[in-house]
Amino acid sequence: MSAIIECKNLTHYYGRRKIYENLNFEVPQGRILGLLGKNGTGKTTTINILSGYLQPHSGECRIFGENIQTMRPALRKRIGLLLEGHVQYQFMNITQIEKFYAAFYPGQWKKEAYYELMDKLKVAPKQPIARMSNGQRSQVALGLILAQNPELLILDDFSLGLDPGYRRLFVDYLRDYARSENKTVFLTSHIIQDMERLIDDCIIMDYGKILIQQPIDTLMHGFRRYTCTVPENYRPQLPESCYHPAVLRQTLELHSFLPPAEMESLLKAQQVPFTALKHENVSLEDAFIGLTGKY
Amino acid sequence: MIRAVFYKEWIKTRWFLLLATLFLMGITGYALLRVSRAMALHGVEHLWVVMVQKDAIFVDLLTYIPLMIGIGLAAVQFFPEMQNKRLKLALHLPYSRQKMTLLMPACGLSALVCCFATSYLMMGIYLPRYFAHELVRRVLLSAAPWFLAGFAGYLLVAWICLEPTWKRRVLNLIIALLVLRVYFLAPGAEAYNGFLPWLTVYTLLLACLSLISMARFKAGKQD
Repeated sequence: MSAIIECKNLTHYYGRRKIYENLNFEVPQGRILGLLGKNGTGKTTTINILSGYLQPHSGECRIFGENIQTMRPALRKRIGLLLEGHVQYQFMNITQIEKFYAAFYPGQWKKEAYYELMDKLKVAPKQPIARMSNGQRSQVALGLILAQNPELLILDDFSLGLDPGYRRLFVDYLRDYARSENKTVFLTSHIIQDMERLIDDCIIMDYGKILIQQPIDTLMHGFRRYTCTVPENYRPQLPESCYHPAVLRQTLELHSFLPPAEMESLLKAQQVPFTALKHENVSLEDAFIGLTGKY
Repeated sequence: MIRAVFYKEWIKTRWFLLLATLFLMGITGYALLRVSRAMALHGVEHLWVVMVQKDAIFVDLLTYIPLMIGIGLAAVQFFPEMQNKRLKLALHLPYSRQKMTLLMPACGLSALVCCFATSYLMMGIYLPRYFAHELVRRVLLSAAPWFLAGFAGYLLVAWICLEPTWKRRVLNLIIALLVLRVYFLAPGAEAYNGFLPWLTVYTLLLACLSLISMARFKAGKQD
């Protein structure tokens, strides 16, 4: 599979504050990749760099093999961009906005895809977007991207401001569209439950670095939560393969990619006074918290 | 694509433009009404004498109106573009970013030309009925720097609005005030006559300032 997005040695600072250093990742063709991270880890920074609205301190990003800093209009035609908060031209109504965008995508614009989605919204054709709910605005923004019919979709925090119903609608519509049309999607969201239904691969970022990049199935099957009983006031000193070990009321909790047998051996080798070791597979949200910690 | 950009800008600014044009026509009409009243009271000959000997042009009411309209139009047109960084939408369209940066102010300038033309038309139709060609020319040329200030105000506020950082916006605002001062240095009739072509070029060059703001926006400059 060829890479649609390639970022090499990406480094960025805001003033003296380092956001990340030497970040490398690729997004293969036809995959839906979710970028996950806590607030301030650089998700929106990455989206801004990818969409050409931020010049990185150093490093290079290529989309369809072309450097994004010199993105030609023909390349932008192949990329659908959803801004954080589903920002669109609020002074227009749904008919006007469709007419406006259609002029920029001759031969590629799928008017019917937009209106199919708009028909599901209970809004008058002349109602300005400014007077719509967040959920309705999200559908307008999504409808415009579907009509644009791009090869790559870049979506910044698509779940922002949406209630559960509209989040589900957005995810289901996007997933079906991306899968059936073999589109590549790069997205971020602060609601990780939504990602579980949608993404094929994930990148989990911590402050300044990428913790993991792997298919979601590998993560969900290989990452486990371990709990065991330990003496009161025990302070665990464990290697890096055990993520964020913490003791609460005689229960040691940690997360790891190690299989149960290896974990048991490791705890013994580290002379942890444990009993009743248990393990369980976790949801994506639990895996995210397990990897990045609660604080 | 050019039509689409004009379409978007029109939807955004049409109500303001309508109100601004009506307001400008109202003020121009009021100024001309005062001329008409003065003629009724003192006779047209008296006005001719005052115009020639005392440099009166009778439309001073208009002095700052085009500037206010220019500033207002730029705010109505560009403020929504910077809310939630909506400008990214326009710059992501498959169209040259430089052309887009120049096309948006071009839409506003075209609208201002139409708006200001109503005032000039009213003066150009009414005044020749009572005044000699030279005196009409004097009024229209004396008012020209005010209308150029309207265009300049528009371009300068566009520059300030599109600037992505607040610190720089304040600096731009101070520079803009100094630049605008040039249009109101000499209040006398036809004081700018020899300078008008240069003032026009100076005004048009201000359009390039938007390119600086846009380049800074694209580079992701932040406070």
